[in-house]
Amino acid sequence: MTEAEVRSRMRAYITDNFLYMRRDLKLGDDDSLLRKGVIDSLGVMEVLGFVEETFGLHVDQNDITEENFGTLNAITRYVAARTTSATA
Amino acid sequence: MCGIAGIVRDAPSGVALASLERMAGALRHRGPDGYGFYVSPRAGLAHVRLSIIDIACGAQPMTTEGGALVITYNGEIYNYIELRAELEALGHRFRTRSDTEVLLHAWMAWGSAMFERLNGQFAFGLLDRRDGSLLLARDRFGVRPLFYAEHDGTLVFGSEAKALFASGEVPAAPDLLGLDEVFSFWAARAPRTVFAGVRQLEPGCWARWADGRLAVHRFSAFDYAEADVEPADALETLDGILRSSVALRMRADVPVGGYLSGGLDSSVTCALAAAASPFALRTFSVTFDDPRLDESAHQRLVAGQLRSVHAIQPIGQDEIGAVFPEVVRHAETPLVRTAPAPMYLLAKLTRGGDIKVVLTGEGSDELFLGYDLYKETLVRRFCLRRPGSAWRPRLFDRLYPYLAHERGGEMWRQFFLTAGEGDDPLFSHMPRILLTSRIKDFYSADVRAGLAGADVVQELREDLPPGFGRWSDLGRAAYLELHTLLAGYLLSSQGDRMAMAHGVEGRYPFLDPRLFAFLSRLPTRSLLRGLREKDLLRRWAKSVVPPGVLDRPKQPYRAPDVAAFFGRATPAYVDERLGEDAVRRAGLFDPAATAGLVRRCRSGKATGFRENQALVGLLSAQLWHQQFFAEAAVPPPLPAARADVVLRAADDPALEPATDGVKA
Repeated sequence: MTEAEVRSRMRAYITDNFLYMRRDLKLGDDDSLLRKGVIDSLGVMEVLGFVEETFGLHVDQNDITEENFGTLNAITRYVAARTTSATA
Repeated sequence: MCGIAGIVRDAPSGVALASLERMAGALRHRGPDGYGFYVSPRAGLAHVRLSIIDIACGAQPMTTEGGALVITYNGEIYNYIELRAELEALGHRFRTRSDTEVLLHAWMAWGSAMFERLNGQFAFGLLDRRDGSLLLARDRFGVRPLFYAEHDGTLVFGSEAKALFASGEVPAAPDLLGLDEVFSFWAARAPRTVFAGVRQLEPGCWARWADGRLAVHRFSAFDYAEADVEPADALETLDGILRSSVALRMRADVPVGGYLSGGLDSSVTCALAAAASPFALRTFSVTFDDPRLDESAHQRLVAGQLRSVHAIQPIGQDEIGAVFPEVVRHAETPLVRTAPAPMYLLAKLTRGGDIKVVLTGEGSDELFLGYDLYKETLVRRFCLRRPGSAWRPRLFDRLYPYLAHERGGEMWRQFFLTAGEGDDPLFSHMPRILLTSRIKDFYSADVRAGLAGADVVQELREDLPPGFGRWSDLGRAAYLELHTLLAGYLLSSQGDRMAMAHGVEGRYPFLDPRLFAFLSRLPTRSLLRGLREKDLLRRWAKSVVPPGVLDRPKQPYRAPDVAAFFGRATPAYVDERLGEDAVRRAGLFDPAATAGLVRRCRSGKATGFRENQALVGLLSAQLWHQQFFAEAAVPPPLPAARADVVLRAADDPALEPATDGVKA
């Protein structure tokens, strides 16, 4: 799966599940999901569940950082790197 | 405990007895044991009675001898026996054994200086027929409610807003700012309410209405003058106050029972009540099918030790959904939690067991700093002092182990560190306010437009008391908790309204003014020591409650939210109220966003706080809108012909005294 495809699926997931009540919110690929109030503490868990199920990953607890999951681009990079290394 | 209502005019233009009959009818659940009226061309008072003290002679409205003062009163003055002795020493003569009459004489003897002498929970309207003025008052913590509205030289008041609407003189309409406060702080902040034009008297205030004007005065304010050192006799002082507080609250001419949650606070109140009672104490609990919420093992432990006669109200998947519309009707406000519903059912169980007075542990978490929010404030401040620290935020995992579980991680902790600036006076409460405010994402375009430019959170910042800036983080947090949550939500939506829906009076030993005065002057580490909450109470309670209760971590009282409506079955009213038509007609929320929430709930994906509270917020607001505006129904009136007392007075109150105790 390409980075563009991962980003697109993540954006669709976030929009459908966390922004259905904020349709006017413009979410940039580098906008902070926490600081923009898109996801909260439990929302993080939900995103993790989706990532693991959709992309066949296991996310280590030490990886659950803002650096890896703080923005759409961060999640995309994380997933792409893990799926690439897993299939390499 | 009772219900009160009244209409007072600045000219003798007449008050219809029929209006008072409707107002009393709207409050009948608060006082199923009797009712009465006072009516004159200038004023009318109504009273529905729950007989607890001086059952034979305590009917209301009650007058002084000669009829100068007439009162309609809801509440208890616990130290009325001592006050009566003082008043008798001053030459006052009494005709009844009631605390109502003590209140009348106290006002005559001491005027507004009487308030600092009152240890109790009360709301009343007291008419002074000599000058046509009306006195309104409400207790320090706001245990008892008091609403009013003014129009064209008339003041209409009542224990609940529904009495005002039943008068026919106050139209019902939503107050968008009040709604916005519910979705910020969990409740409208007094004097504001969720109804346009309807105010509530602030706790700790009295007001005089004369010549068409209302002047509000404060008789009690919260202060946190923390000492550096805990007094050596702190445990003895606490012992004396708690025992006295419970003993005062056992004063009644009917049996007093206790709510028993299985936590420390209600175990303390029940243990002291059992010790003070000549009979086996009756205790009442809710249990939950969901083991994450259930505390029944601890309830059984305490009930066993106290040898109380224990009754339980089980809460499964369907009970909350079945009563939620009634809960909203009694609460008279949108809610963000279903937690009032089990309290509603518990009161029903209690009344069904012929108990109409119960002690509860409410107030302890506020005074002894028991809530997680206080610890969270300390940890957040601790983290902000060393922003780069990797281990400090791990304290959040200890604080909320049931949330953090194994997937917590750094990102989960970040949530607490990104909510609220360190120099914000609302620092302690910003995580909760920001989280609750996510419900506003569902507002309709009309509501957004109606609220344009309004900022209820900033209003609160600008409305803080003068001493606030001098208090510690914990003092500020304690004040904000009392000010925003205790009276507006815990004591009303979860307290007075749910209990009084079934004619049950709650009494709160931890809300004794002497206890607040004592605890608010202690060093906060006496209360919250490290992350051990209610330290002083735990030290004191060693000989009173079982070790298993004393040592257990605090379990917040919660009830199922989404699961109550989208579990095994969905009640028909849920689909109806959250359907596109009903949402569009009410105009409060965006229909598409609401549909998205329903879809998430139905598919089992709405598991976070945000969507749980959103569902309860939207559903309760839709029910509230239906019951109070769209399809409002006025309950049947209480006919004067069957009243216990009807006092009639002729035209000018200064000229002709009311006739005391005349049966209709």
